[in-house]
Amino acid sequence: MMSEYIKSHIIYSIFLFIVVALGIVLALQFTNSKQMQMLVVVMTTFFYVAIGIMHHRENHDVTAKIVVEYILIGSLGMTIAFFFLGAL
Amino acid sequence: MKRFFHHFFLPHESNNHRPKLLHHKTIVFFIAFFLIGQILLEKAKTDFSDVLGATADISVEKLLLLTNRERQSKGLGQLVLNEQLSKAAFLKGTNMLEKNYWAHNAPDGTTPWHFIKQTEYNYVYAGENLARGFTHSEDIVDAWMTSPTHRDNMFSPNYQDIGFAVLEGKLVGENTTLVVEMFGSAQPLQLAKTPETVLQPVSPQLAGERSLSSEIAPSYLKNQPIINSISLSWYIGIGTITLFIFILSIDMIIIERRKIIRFVGHNIDHVVFLGLVLLFIILVNHGYIL
Repeated sequence: MMSEYIKSHIIYSIFLFIVVALGIVLALQFTNSKQMQMLVVVMTTFFYVAIGIMHHRENHDVTAKIVVEYILIGSLGMTIAFFFLGAL
Repeated sequence: MKRFFHHFFLPHESNNHRPKLLHHKTIVFFIAFFLIGQILLEKAKTDFSDVLGATADISVEKLLLLTNRERQSKGLGQLVLNEQLSKAAFLKGTNMLEKNYWAHNAPDGTTPWHFIKQTEYNYVYAGENLARGFTHSEDIVDAWMTSPTHRDNMFSPNYQDIGFAVLEGKLVGENTTLVVEMFGSAQPLQLAKTPETVLQPVSPQLAGERSLSSEIAPSYLKNQPIINSISLSWYIGIGTITLFIFILSIDMIIIERRKIIRFVGHNIDHVVFLGLVLLFIILVNHGYIL
C-alpha cells in the first residue's frame, strides 16, 4: 500500500528529492559564508513550495489549505536551519 | 494521557484524521518558537555570556598535532611551531577583529604577509588558513582538509614552520572564536619534486634568527560559558525535525492503511524536504573557513 502511494508519485518525488538535495549540497559548499548558506536555504525552500503546488495543480487537487501547508512546512524547515546557523 | 497522545501524534477522529502536531496552528506555533528562540538566544549570548555561549575546545597544541599528523600520513616532514609566525597570526587575528573583516586581505589592502614581515620572519614561502565559529580543533583541521586550497597549504612541502593564534571577539556582527594558521619557510629548501621553483635569496643572518622553539603559543580564550549555545540549538533543531518526520511518516502509513481520503499535502514531500534539512544540519561545518 505504501509502495502504491509512493509509486503514484515516484517521478515527482524523485524530482523533488533531486532539487532539494542539490540545494543542500550547494549550501554545504559555502564553507566561508553563512549569508550564502542562508540564501541557498531560502531558494531551496522556495523551489520545494513551488514544486509541491505544481504537483497538486497537475492532480487538480490544489486548494488554499494545501498551499498554506507547503508554505508552513517550508517555513518550519527554513526557520530551524536558520536557528542552527544563527548559533554558529 | 493516552487520548492526548492520540490526539497530538496520531490521525484520529478527534483531530479530523490529521495529528494535531501537523495542524497549521501548531506548525505556526513551532515557527514562532524558533523565531523568538533565535532572538532570545542572541540576547542571552550577549547579556549572559558566562552562562550561554559558544564553548570552544581549541588549543594550539591540538591544532599542531593534528596538522602534523595529516602531513605525516602523506610522508611529509613535520612543521615546527614558530614564535614569529604565531605572533604574526595573532597580529592578523587582532587586526581582523579590530577592523571587523572576514578575509585574507584587510579592507585597506593589507595582506597577511604584512603581519609576517612585522615579526621580522624573512619568509621565502608563506601561506594562511583561517577558521571561525568552530568549537573543536578536530573540526577545524577536518574542514581545512576537505577544502582543496586549504589542504594544499597543509600539505605543501615548501613550508617548514607554522604559527597559530586562537582569539575570541566580535567578527561581522557575531561573537566568535577566530583561528589563524600561518605557514612559512625562511630558508631555501632542497625540493626534489619542484626543481624549477625559484627561491628568493634569504639573508643568512635573518634565516638564522628563525626561532625553532617548541614553546607553545598562548591561547587567548577567555572563560568558557556553562551551556554551549551551538549544541543547544543543534539538539533542539534536530529533535524537532526528527519529531515531524516521524509523525508525518506514521500519519502517512496509518492513512494509507485505513484508506482515508483527505485533502492535504503529500506527506512524502514534507518528509523529503525535512529529511534533507536534517541532513544539512548534521553535515554543515560547525564553523567557517577561508
